[in-house]
Amino acid sequence: MQRRHFLASLGAAAATSRLSLHGEDAPGTARLTLLHTNDTHSRIEPFGAGNGAISGKGGMARRATLVKQLRAQLGNVLLLDAGDVFQGTPYFNRYKGLLDYKLMSMMGYDASTLGNHDFDNGVEGLLAAMAEAKFPFVSCNLDMKGAPSLAQRVQPWIVKEFPGLKVGITGVCVNFKGLVAPKGHAGVIWLNPLESLKPVVKLLREQEKVDMVVLLSHLGHDLKGSGWDDLTLARQLPGVDVIIGGHSHTFLEEPVRVKNEGGETLIFQVGFGGVSLGRIDFTVSRGVVKAASGASLSVTN
Amino acid sequence: MKARIAIFLSIGLALAAQVAPRFERAQPIPVLDSVPDDEAVAKVIAPLSVELRASFGKELVLAPQGLFRGRGGEENFLGYWVADLMRERAQQVVGAPVRFAITNSGGLRGNIRPGMVKIADIYEVMPFENELVVAEYTGAEIMQIVKDGITRRLGEPCSGVQAKVIGTLEKPEFVITWSDGSPIDPKEMVKVALTDYLLASGDSIATLRRGRNPITTGVPLRDLLIDACAKLGTLKVPLTSPAGQRFVFTPEILQAIRDKKLVW
Repeated sequence: MQRRHFLASLGAAAATSRLSLHGEDAPGTARLTLLHTNDTHSRIEPFGAGNGAISGKGGMARRATLVKQLRAQLGNVLLLDAGDVFQGTPYFNRYKGLLDYKLMSMMGYDASTLGNHDFDNGVEGLLAAMAEAKFPFVSCNLDMKGAPSLAQRVQPWIVKEFPGLKVGITGVCVNFKGLVAPKGHAGVIWLNPLESLKPVVKLLREQEKVDMVVLLSHLGHDLKGSGWDDLTLARQLPGVDVIIGGHSHTFLEEPVRVKNEGGETLIFQVGFGGVSLGRIDFTVSRGVVKAASGASLSVTN
Repeated sequence: MKARIAIFLSIGLALAAQVAPRFERAQPIPVLDSVPDDEAVAKVIAPLSVELRASFGKELVLAPQGLFRGRGGEENFLGYWVADLMRERAQQVVGAPVRFAITNSGGLRGNIRPGMVKIADIYEVMPFENELVVAEYTGAEIMQIVKDGITRRLGEPCSGVQAKVIGTLEKPEFVITWSDGSPIDPKEMVKVALTDYLLASGDSIATLRRGRNPITTGVPLRDLLIDACAKLGTLKVPLTSPAGQRFVFTPEILQAIRDKKLVW
């Protein structure tokens, strides 16, 4: 990028983000930022006119600029996607998802999970597109014994490391029933997300000793009792710090905080079509556990 | 009190070995036109965009008011248009009456906005590679399919029937007839137009999977829509909304269905 363009892009980011780009970390602390998308649905270019409030928004080339400048400013950044990259514009019909994954790779996505629409061209179509993906896919509630090539490409969980910080990332997919034609997920069986996640979270916490667990969820935010969703999962599953949600195209202005046995799980989702890029900032205390000071209040009281 | 302090100490020791991420803040960052394109990404997209516009930019027909899916019980004129076309084409293909057609509102991924309709617009409405199929169902099964569609999404787009849910919350009454007002014989076996996706999966309407003697038409649903638009365009006839009022609810019943609280 030419210098003048880079400077212009920095200005644009400052204008669009309410959060600081120049975090002055206190001594002994560091920062981790999650940047995320969901349900981008092959929206390679910005939405055109006639789309109401989202007209003119989005576009992968702009998203790439935002990601690049936020990474340059913030340091410890994970760029994540919660699935349904495929389907929605003629770009998908023509390029079958290869273009989406290629551009996501150029942006440096760290991980993605799979949504129901990512199976729209079947397992073979998904695998063909994955050839352009230079990032890992995570999902722990898909039994892929009948699709061994896909099983090699999709991991139940991964760990990303930063200096002094380990982050476990896993993913879950919505039930295929009624959403994916049987031939679309041939060889892949959907499993209960809660039961699939329990051993993964335990393993990440106890064996991998991660400091943070991030769940990429393509379950949907609130299905009002008709199936597993992020709210239900967060209430029943301790040990997950943040759920990056998708599927329901829910526009949240800030994370929903759900109390559970393990404390609290954040849920965030940013609509669809790449209209927005989600950002969640965490402060990481090295050697000093800020959470413990909170615990001391409750005990001494 | 001693026990409680001991608990605190053990927690403190356990956590002290780890770092503790603490949530600070979050926001959705809108991707606006004030953000410049990344040059490398834009360079990849540019030639593909030109190629797509060349093949998908063809203008088909004028839709002065557009066709919209509606939300939460509003008229789904786009869905009705699609279902009507499905029934009409299915009759042509099988050469026999097709009394009912259904598609799923979730399968229609965009609206037709007012203005000139291009091929790309139809791809956005119907991006899937679904094919028109014809299968046989009893009248009773059609009534169940429509009822399930109402429960699930306040009515899936249909052609050939008119359904009402009237009465009171305590005693709701489901009234369904053929669109000409004649009664549906529960035992009569009739031909129905639907998609291969719906026949195979049901899309949460289990009865749809019971279709008998399926006939594959070889007609992709998207081609059906493109052909219909092109035909109107050639005749210089605008694309307008089809007949509505296919689902009628009392206001309180509509709200109860929205809230998934109607017992019927």
